[in-house]
Amino acid sequence: MTPFVLWLSRLSSFAATPAVWGVFFAGAVIYLIAEWRIRLLALLGQYFALGLLFAHLFDTRPELALLKTLVGWLVCGALFLSARTREEATRGALHFHWAADLPFRIITLTVMVLVAYLAAQRYPLPFLTADLSAACFLLLVLAVLFIGTDGDAGVAGLGVLNLLSGLDLFYSAWDPGLLVTGLMVIVTLLAGLAISYLTVAEVAE
Amino acid sequence: MTLPGPLFIAGLPLGMAVILQVLRRWTTPSAWLAAAAAGLTGALVAFLPLTEPFRLASFQLELGSPLIILGRELVVQPVDRLGLMFIFFTAAGLFIVAWRLMPHSNFFPVGLGMTALLASALLVQQVVYAALLVEMAALLAVFPLHETAGRTVGGVRYMAYTTLALPGLMITQLLLDLYASFPNDQGLLGTSAILLSLSFGILLGAVPFQTWLSAVATDGAPPVVTFLFTVNIGTVWFMLLAYLQSYAWLWQQAAFSSLITTVGLLMMTLGGLLAAAQQRLGRLVGYATLVDNGALLLALGSQQKAGLALAAMLLVARPLALGLMTLGLDGLRRLGEGNDDRQVLIGAAWRAPWRTGAFLVGGMALAGFPLSLGFAARWGLYRLVADTSFFQAMLALGGSAGVMMGLVSCVRALLTPAKRPTKPQPGLKEDRIVVILIILLIGATFILGFFPQLVSQLGIQMAEGYPFFAP
Repeated sequence: MTPFVLWLSRLSSFAATPAVWGVFFAGAVIYLIAEWRIRLLALLGQYFALGLLFAHLFDTRPELALLKTLVGWLVCGALFLSARTREEATRGALHFHWAADLPFRIITLTVMVLVAYLAAQRYPLPFLTADLSAACFLLLVLAVLFIGTDGDAGVAGLGVLNLLSGLDLFYSAWDPGLLVTGLMVIVTLLAGLAISYLTVAEVAE
Repeated sequence: MTLPGPLFIAGLPLGMAVILQVLRRWTTPSAWLAAAAAGLTGALVAFLPLTEPFRLASFQLELGSPLIILGRELVVQPVDRLGLMFIFFTAAGLFIVAWRLMPHSNFFPVGLGMTALLASALLVQQVVYAALLVEMAALLAVFPLHETAGRTVGGVRYMAYTTLALPGLMITQLLLDLYASFPNDQGLLGTSAILLSLSFGILLGAVPFQTWLSAVATDGAPPVVTFLFTVNIGTVWFMLLAYLQSYAWLWQQAAFSSLITTVGLLMMTLGGLLAAAQQRLGRLVGYATLVDNGALLLALGSQQKAGLALAAMLLVARPLALGLMTLGLDGLRRLGEGNDDRQVLIGAAWRAPWRTGAFLVGGMALAGFPLSLGFAARWGLYRLVADTSFFQAMLALGGSAGVMMGLVSCVRALLTPAKRPTKPQPGLKEDRIVVILIILLIGATFILGFFPQLVSQLGIQMAEGYPFFAP
């Protein structure tokens, strides 16, 4: 193990718990705030936190964690372009506003996060540390919330990306092989493209 | 040099898809090349022997030879051949149907790429890779599905639901590997059975995950919707059979068969009720498909080879029925300027008689009405189910009746003369080629309805490949 990899491994294991919190806060921001720029910034931050968790997972191969983070950021870039096209088409003005039904969203978010916490305690996932297990459950409940409460391609699409990230985190612990990693990267990129496309196609109406 | 069969089966459509992306501007060559590539691959799967090499220029093609990618094996097994033939021939037919309906569309390259991915999903041995390939095909489907501007709820929902099915399939692989190490832990099998049922339920649009079917049918381009409801769902069906074959313990779980029967009946009943109440033609297609999917599961739940043969007949009948409905729905939507509400389309039958006829005959075939292949399959299914429970057979019949009621209501609105005579619009002129396609499909529907033994032999042959069923 090179000194850099050793240092990165120590950093990622130290940062694992904050990274789980990072995943949660980013998800909460996406769910509660309706401004697309803030949502995309939160997604960018979420992929950074996920990168730290992947670095913790691939402690001897940090390049795979870097790849996952870069792919996530690439998807953010595609989503940014679509969201901007959509804003230009709808002539929407830049202003901060909370999502509709905010009290309902706060309650559902609280309940679902509690469910994720209890599930992580009660059913620890095999091959994963407690932090990574909590992150997987958290990403799953966030995905369900995004898909279940918003029909908009932008938000439901982020749910799809969250679900894929959670699954990737879980499955990579068990099978860190190149084929699965490569296929998951392709699926994430395709999902990003599909969401970007749908975001624009929705507006063209 | 010997080429393994899977390389050809996946490589030819994928290579052609790249070429077609360049040729997208020219619709006729695109459509026919796509149909030819899919048809040729299907024909090779159908006619080439599995073990003997076939000489192709300086290469030798051996269909049964495995393709190994990073230690993972793709191989054509005898039981896969009918599934592959179904996928490729249906795709070829749908490319021809889409030829006149989707000019300059990316459906041809993307559809061909999807076909290659779905065929690979049938050939790969591990669940996890099959699941990821199906997910990729679903994500690609979004592009041609919403090619024209409009609501995208269908695409979003299809993408989300397919992704929701992914964890179950991938985790099942993990649990099965764990079970190989700890064979005494029966809980692993129980969890696998639940996860697999859930995932396949989502992919087949089982209740309560049926909403993607109606959303896709309402918002999507009709030929692509038909592609999803035949090729994609067909692949999922063959995957399900392959898993039941590979993991015999799954079938032996006490509740599994009754769970499949119950879900199938629920789908038929709910689908029939919703179809009967539909105002929109697109949604009617979605709910009719839900009923048909329920019939497939009901046939599977019978645990008999006859049930599986009937399911194969239903599957073969579906592309014909949905192809006709596609041709009809496309024209009627154009009349309604994108709206397929029956109130908007009052009197449309007099302005587009061929399209209305296609929608009616296709709907009747999908509902299992007499003189269609669907009827022969459904009737056999009712009789099979009635042997064990007359009540269940009546419920299943009720589902089909619901679809017919919905269809009759729609056609009645289409036949009702409009109060004010509308001026003929240029877009309403029937395309002769579309009319010829409609006539051909109606002819095929009736011929196979009169002579169902042509398809039933195929069904019986397919059922023989799955020995986990009782004779």
